[in-house]
Amino acid sequence: MIDAYKKLMNLEEPPAPRKAKGFFTDTSLCIGCKACEVACKQWNQLPADGYAMTGNSYDNTGALGATTWRHVEFIEQAKANGSRQEQRWLMMSDVCKHCANAACLEACPTGALIRTEFDTVYVQQDVCNGCGFCVPACPFGVIDRAPKDGLFEAGTAHKCTLCYDRLKDDMTPACAKSCPTASIQFGDVAELQQRARSRLGELHARGETTARLYGMPESTEAKEVGHLNAFFLLLDEPAAYNLPEVPRLPRRTMPERYGWSAAVGIGFAVLGALALGRRAR
Amino acid sequence: MTELAAPRGYYQYPVVKRPVWTWEVPAYFWLGGMAGGAYVTASLAQAFGSEDVRRRGADGFYIAAAALLPCAPLLILDLGRPERFHHMLRIFKPLSPMNLGAWALTAFSPVAVARAAAQAGDDGLLPAPVRMLARLLPKRIVEAGGSLLGLTLAGYTGVLLAATNVPVWAKSKLLGGLFTASAMSSGSAAVTLIASRRRACDDTIHRLAAIESAASLGELALLSGYLAQSGKTAAPLVSERLAGPFWFGAVGMGAILPLLLHRLARPRHGKALRSLSTVAVVCSIMGSLALRWTIFEAGKVSAQDQTASLEFSR
Repeated sequence: MIDAYKKLMNLEEPPAPRKAKGFFTDTSLCIGCKACEVACKQWNQLPADGYAMTGNSYDNTGALGATTWRHVEFIEQAKANGSRQEQRWLMMSDVCKHCANAACLEACPTGALIRTEFDTVYVQQDVCNGCGFCVPACPFGVIDRAPKDGLFEAGTAHKCTLCYDRLKDDMTPACAKSCPTASIQFGDVAELQQRARSRLGELHARGETTARLYGMPESTEAKEVGHLNAFFLLLDEPAAYNLPEVPRLPRRTMPERYGWSAAVGIGFAVLGALALGRRAR
Repeated sequence: MTELAAPRGYYQYPVVKRPVWTWEVPAYFWLGGMAGGAYVTASLAQAFGSEDVRRRGADGFYIAAAALLPCAPLLILDLGRPERFHHMLRIFKPLSPMNLGAWALTAFSPVAVARAAAQAGDDGLLPAPVRMLARLLPKRIVEAGGSLLGLTLAGYTGVLLAATNVPVWAKSKLLGGLFTASAMSSGSAAVTLIASRRRACDDTIHRLAAIESAASLGELALLSGYLAQSGKTAAPLVSERLAGPFWFGAVGMGAILPLLLHRLARPRHGKALRSLSTVAVVCSIMGSLALRWTIFEAGKVSAQDQTASLEFSR
């Protein structure tokens, strides 16, 4: 009976879980070449976003979006007449974090957003109906809906897939493959986390005391969204990279919010019954 | 808590994405809320009211059905891929307010239409054979169950906006309660409107006005709490481009003016009562739209505000 139903509905068994895959983006190694942006666009056949100049250093990309799944930030920290230690040019290749508790995935009403066998977060393009709820739900501003009148997968939500198609064939995602300085490292998340810890120790020993990891299981960022499968080594506080200090997961406060709704509804019903039912004057 | 200096961000780029929704969403919130409020009011009238309250209150079932008709089309129109609207119902996932709302609308619509049809039968608006069929509806059960669905429909919309990372929507925990109160006030206002146009007893109008005023008072209290909790985050709503529509439309016209007019109408009878009540409830209904629209639009401004986002996530 159940088998017949599954056959009728064309239901497949989900693939068996594999080792969690992710990125360790070490910003101390990034040279801002944008090879990752280009490789991502090429492999995923994402259209160009135009040739607008932002005037903000070398960043003419601006933000992650429906057709931009890697974004290199250029943070100029220069002090007039400052010493060499006071001049910094930070670069960071931003990407979807593939959160352990993903706000977009929880918001999705259609089940288009799924957790894959590699523990990554993926949008099924044939299921998404473009409701747009994942867009403001993401605390990092990653996922976006392609314009309804556009040529690229119009009207559905898009973000980094961690090259799901390449992962299926045991290949490295395009951005990590193209990175010339190993700033973007791909692999098993557990192993990457180990590597990140030892790299941090190395940098601290060399006097880079502002270096810190972002998105590790033990760090404050993980309080609500859990650890990030795509995590970072930063050279400044998260806000400098537009990263939230404690990314919020809407689910955490939802019971309280529904509670107020219910309390008001019940209160109205009780008052209404009293007002409509009391004896005539 | 100690005040920390504003964190510095990356140029002026926003941290979160601007919601992609357009005018259909606040319009739906308004109509769906009014439908829920009118259905609950009508059901309360049936369960507890005198004969005249029951008769006049029953018009609320018509209002609920009529307000629900455009709801599903509005929601579908807002989708990026409208032809896939039914994908909302391929799973049941109450964790997602969007999914819960889709199910609440799907369940509430036929219930409200069936109850309105039964009312049309009782009011002699249906031909005899259909009337017989409409009589078979177990009214009390449909009213109780429908009221729960109506409250869900009215109550989830504020939670939906708040279950995001848009600071002005998410900072306070009261948005769901606020939208529910506004829905109850506009729904009972719509019932009062029909009642005062259709020669209800003065007593019935007074009673309906009393519950609408109670809802408006609740709305004002929740709004104060919402603004207090939001603090500086509410700036796009209270002190920028939307300040006019918010203070004069949502607060003044939507809550304070109806309260004053109902208070003025309380000692009056007949025509004066009807005229004052009519103005009051029309203000209340329009104010409810103004509230949804201004808060919705404020969200778009707030999402672009880097400082607000960085403050919200500390």
